[in-house]
Amino acid sequence: MEKNFILAGFGGQGILLAGTILANAFMLDDKNVTWYPCYGAEMRGGTVNCEVVVSDTEVSSVHKKDCDYALVLNQQSFDRFVQNIKSGGTIIANSTLVAETKPRADIHYVFAQMGKIASDLGTNKITNVVSLGVLSSVTDIISKDALKKAVETVLGEKKKDLLPLNIKALECGESILTCA
Amino acid sequence: MNNQKVLIKGNYAIAQAAVKAGCQCYFGYPITPQSEIGEYLSGKMQELGRGFVCAESELAAINMVIGAVSTGVKAMTSSSSCAVALMQEALSYAAGDELPVVLINVMRAGPGLGYIYPAQGDYNQSVYGGGNGDYKIIVIAPSTVQECIDYTYKAFYLAHKYRNPVILLADGLLGQMMEPAVFGEYPYPEIDNSSWALTGAKNRPARAIYSLEPSESKQINRINHLFEKFDIITKNETDWEEFETDDADIILTAFGSMTRNIKAAMKVLRENDIKAGCFRPITLNPFPHKRINELARQGKDFIVVEMNMGQMYKDIKYAVEGQSKVELVNRSVGEWLKVEEIVSAVKKIMEKNYAASI
Repeated sequence: MEKNFILAGFGGQGILLAGTILANAFMLDDKNVTWYPCYGAEMRGGTVNCEVVVSDTEVSSVHKKDCDYALVLNQQSFDRFVQNIKSGGTIIANSTLVAETKPRADIHYVFAQMGKIASDLGTNKITNVVSLGVLSSVTDIISKDALKKAVETVLGEKKKDLLPLNIKALECGESILTCA
Repeated sequence: MNNQKVLIKGNYAIAQAAVKAGCQCYFGYPITPQSEIGEYLSGKMQELGRGFVCAESELAAINMVIGAVSTGVKAMTSSSSCAVALMQEALSYAAGDELPVVLINVMRAGPGLGYIYPAQGDYNQSVYGGGNGDYKIIVIAPSTVQECIDYTYKAFYLAHKYRNPVILLADGLLGQMMEPAVFGEYPYPEIDNSSWALTGAKNRPARAIYSLEPSESKQINRINHLFEKFDIITKNETDWEEFETDDADIILTAFGSMTRNIKAAMKVLRENDIKAGCFRPITLNPFPHKRINELARQGKDFIVVEMNMGQMYKDIKYAVEGQSKVELVNRSVGEWLKVEEIVSAVKKIMEKNYAASI
């Protein structure tokens, strides 16, 4: 089993961090994983993306043609990556910033008000963590416990005070689809 | 802690492995896509009371490494393609002077300034070198973040064991990607450098390390010695990996991180009833000529997949000695050839070359 995820959004939305948390979660789950960023002259307000490939065996390549899951936090990323999803794959979009359209019939769509939930929690800076919560409720590949541990690992000792807010954000993301 | 898996970027993995290997001095100048190496070491080396200099140029950095390793300590520099070009003169000196210089090259696109996206265009620069005279550098190419750690350890060991410069040839893809990896402990014995290192001549005769040699016969002896040494290195240290080559008709060949893609392509080709295998030189110098030649004599054809205009392709052809066909599937720079692209290119070649048998 090898699955790949694209995470994309505005620079500043915490896309690379979200990818890092996801990759850590897979590692804590004893899976093989590779995280690869688009790197270059990216800047705040521009678009940024990263790829996370998870596998039971050795992770093969990055820069894959199509992904199984695309997590997109803004409209530009939706427009771009909706083209790069495998038939039968899923796009998970932040409908706070993405119009709920369905340009392809052969993929699944999940729209959730990730930005709004984050704002309700007190800061839209945490949209990325909310989005990981949503993602984990869409697929069984991600263990919710590992994701929580991964958030803890990535925050580390220095930012431990932010842990409760991040866990809350994950939980809100996880439950949004069932609540709605 | 040491055997705990950590999610780490290739560049940080190299830097941390260098620290664990006992690298006492780092000299460098920042350049994407390897700046994290210097960034990490700038803090860590100070914390450990070891040497760190952000040099005024790459030229200065590698010559500082020469100075440091002349005293017998482990030292290194790291850089990327166009800046490694500046270091070629020093590499020739280091090889001639038999100095254990370790150089990390995280390749980007060339020629000239190129850009920061990854490429594999420094195969020739590393293996054949841009310095003057007859000299050889040991070149090791990792393909995963774990190998970035393992081969950084090995680079320090081989450099000191053989008193020969070593290049760790990584690329922007590896430098920037994160994977789980384990550091363990530096697995090699420490090499005693006391017989040649410049440590101050108190209570012993003076020594000097230099490459100037006015006597023709002495210079001939020196060069012969360097090449005899490299024969031993070739015998002991030539390293490669092969997968499913036993029953293969065609062998996909790549170095560095492209190995991952040919392994995936091999699986797809096998599912399509094409008997493909994989061969990956781990040491690019010494190159596994002998094994490639053996495989070619068994009638196996080669397809070389690389992110340059066919630099390793020439070495594979040379090793095959006309015993079987060698084809090239390549792109110059940038996004790595996708698995699907490799598979379709291989199928096309198979149709062209073996139309009768398929």
